[in-house]
Amino acid sequence: MRIAVLRPQVPFSRGGAEIFTDRLVDELRVRDYETELVTLPFKWYPGARVLTQAFMWRLLDLDEADGNPIDVVVATKFPSYLVRHPNKRVWLVHQFRQAYELDRTELGQFGESTEDRALRRKVQDLDRVALGEARRLFATSRNVADRLERSTGLTAEVLPHPPQGLPYRCTGYGNFVLSVNRLDRAKRIDLLLEAAALDSSLEVVIVGDGPDRERLEGLARERGLDGRAHFAGRVGEDELAELYGRCLAVFYAPVDEDFGMVPFEAFLSEKPVLTTTDAGGPLEVVADHRTGLVVSPDASELARAAGWLRDHRDEAASLGRAGKAVAAEVTWDRAISRLLA
Amino acid sequence: MKVAYFSPMPPEKSGVADYSALLLPALEERIDVSVVRHGRKRAPRGVDVTLYQVGNNPDAHAWIVDALRRRPGVVVLHDFVLHHLVAGMTVGRRDGHAYLDAMEAEHGVVGRLLAHGVLDKRIPPLWESRPEDFPLAGFVLGHATGLIVHSDYVHDLARAAGYEQPIWVVPHPAWPVPDVAPERVSPGPAIGCFGVVNASKRIPELLRAFSGVRQRHADATLLLVGPTSPGFDLDRRLQRLGFADEGIVREGWVDEQRLWALMAGVDACVNLRHPTMGETSGSVVRSLSLGKPLVVSDVGWFSELPGDVALKVPVDDLEVETLEAGLELLATRAEVRARMGAAAADLARRQHDVNRVAERYVSALEEAAGGDAVADAVLMEVSEAAADVGISPDSAEAGEIAGRLAEVELG
Repeated sequence: MRIAVLRPQVPFSRGGAEIFTDRLVDELRVRDYETELVTLPFKWYPGARVLTQAFMWRLLDLDEADGNPIDVVVATKFPSYLVRHPNKRVWLVHQFRQAYELDRTELGQFGESTEDRALRRKVQDLDRVALGEARRLFATSRNVADRLERSTGLTAEVLPHPPQGLPYRCTGYGNFVLSVNRLDRAKRIDLLLEAAALDSSLEVVIVGDGPDRERLEGLARERGLDGRAHFAGRVGEDELAELYGRCLAVFYAPVDEDFGMVPFEAFLSEKPVLTTTDAGGPLEVVADHRTGLVVSPDASELARAAGWLRDHRDEAASLGRAGKAVAAEVTWDRAISRLLA
Repeated sequence: MKVAYFSPMPPEKSGVADYSALLLPALEERIDVSVVRHGRKRAPRGVDVTLYQVGNNPDAHAWIVDALRRRPGVVVLHDFVLHHLVAGMTVGRRDGHAYLDAMEAEHGVVGRLLAHGVLDKRIPPLWESRPEDFPLAGFVLGHATGLIVHSDYVHDLARAAGYEQPIWVVPHPAWPVPDVAPERVSPGPAIGCFGVVNASKRIPELLRAFSGVRQRHADATLLLVGPTSPGFDLDRRLQRLGFADEGIVREGWVDEQRLWALMAGVDACVNLRHPTMGETSGSVVRSLSLGKPLVVSDVGWFSELPGDVALKVPVDDLEVETLEAGLELLATRAEVRARMGAAAADLARRQHDVNRVAERYVSALEEAAGGDAVADAVLMEVSEAAADVGISPDSAEAGEIAGRLAEVELG
């Protein structure tokens, strides 16, 4: 069977969707499916470019390649699912969020002019039409599926996927809380820094890079966290696995996140996850005092929760082990079998 | 966004007035709505979109269509068959020529001749005898820059009539269920039928079918709620079928609270229709909210109800027999009623929730206000890119690009 996995690319940028699709291609190939990754650059501004760039996917002919049929296409993210194919399956990472829940927030894109408002609706129309054509429609999390149902009326089956393959292990429960994320405002790393400012014995290690890094480093300096907040930048796989293995817990609290692989990576390292009640997708696997701690998005509550884990390391280990059992249920074998059924 | 909103409003007795009373608060949470006073012919200045709620009743809607004909805008089409409205706005205003013109515009010379027959009283008024054959929707469609309809059925009728502007299908909103105690009319199984009692609601067929059910289930009751249309002899029909003393509970017009109480007290609802004017049924939407299983005619909007919510009865030679089987099933099988009732309540939540409906309204209105500019920008950029690589506007390749744009509603 020949499978094309479809993914838009934002040149010079890499995140969870890229890790996921690369891994999907690898896992399909391991199972002897002839698989190719198909990508197109995507730029969503200014004005109607979000539509014209998306439309490029519609002009592709992926029915066959060099005279041989492509049996299945698996689209993942807006706008790759605009492609036409008789056996189009969508494993939805997320829609174009600026047109939905991020609209009229500081992360939104569309203004109040009649043209901008109509533009946003056109993006929604594209979703309704293109996702409605899919032969099978999956979402990476309940949160993504619920958003889809609310916005388009379409129903997706929830199909989570395992995180990236790292040499996961647990080497103890150290003194620091680890954050692994792209550094942008929606990931809310500042909440962790503010918590560290309130608890002088809380140490944090922040892995990742992004447009919010300068502001976050400035905030750490302002709060006098030098020495207790370490910005590690991008790290290699071995170093990442080592940090997961040593940390006390993993902080992961973006605003209404789609899914997020970080909790699964933490669990596979037997670490509890610290998250917030408004984090969205992570709450599907992080249960308070079962696999982590869930607090309101407030620095003092977060500081208290981190302090509790530091003072109760056996319980922290127990929560981490419970998380590992949750993560073990999500396997590529199961996911691919449902995807291609 | 600012919207001028033309609609009958309470205390006017009109289904569309009730509809607007339900919808407006949810709309006003999202956009700036200016409700136009009854009788005004012009929209206020400075609005982005003008919205006209149009139904078939000339008393409620003639002034709205007058305003529409002065200033085109988005029309919410509550009925596709508008013959009665058009007759009211022409013949009713002693303007027979306008009626002749309207009939000729949509039905050619034959239409004009028939209209002459009506004006000369040689044939019965078509708005009473055969409105579905002469819907006269073009009287309104010709001035609509976009349409909001409640069903795919009306969407398809409008397209078949040659309407080419945008059409948005937005479900009818559901009323919140009031806190009323269910009023049971019988200890045995009770089927409720709510609405005007007349032939187009298939009351004769319903009575015959229910008479069959009663022969096997003497404890079953049919509750008929609603005024009887003039000329429809209900009592005689009841007598003939042996319902004189029992089996039927009759209520005329009831107020809203009592309507809910009676509907909440029945085990299933039946709502039949033929011919359909393309309308939805507020009564059906209420019964969905209450989680009542339904029996409906397999026509128009009613056909679009999911099969797990409603038993659909084709209007054919076996209509009475099919109806009888459906009524008997719901009267006797509690587990079927429970399953269908749960599906009905779920449908009301998913499709008819007033906030979701309002959101879809806003979506339609935003597209109506800015959609042309967006479409122009997209077409400009795509056509420039095509021209850059030597694709001429009349080439097959350009045709393919246009086709793909149309598929995703961008062109």
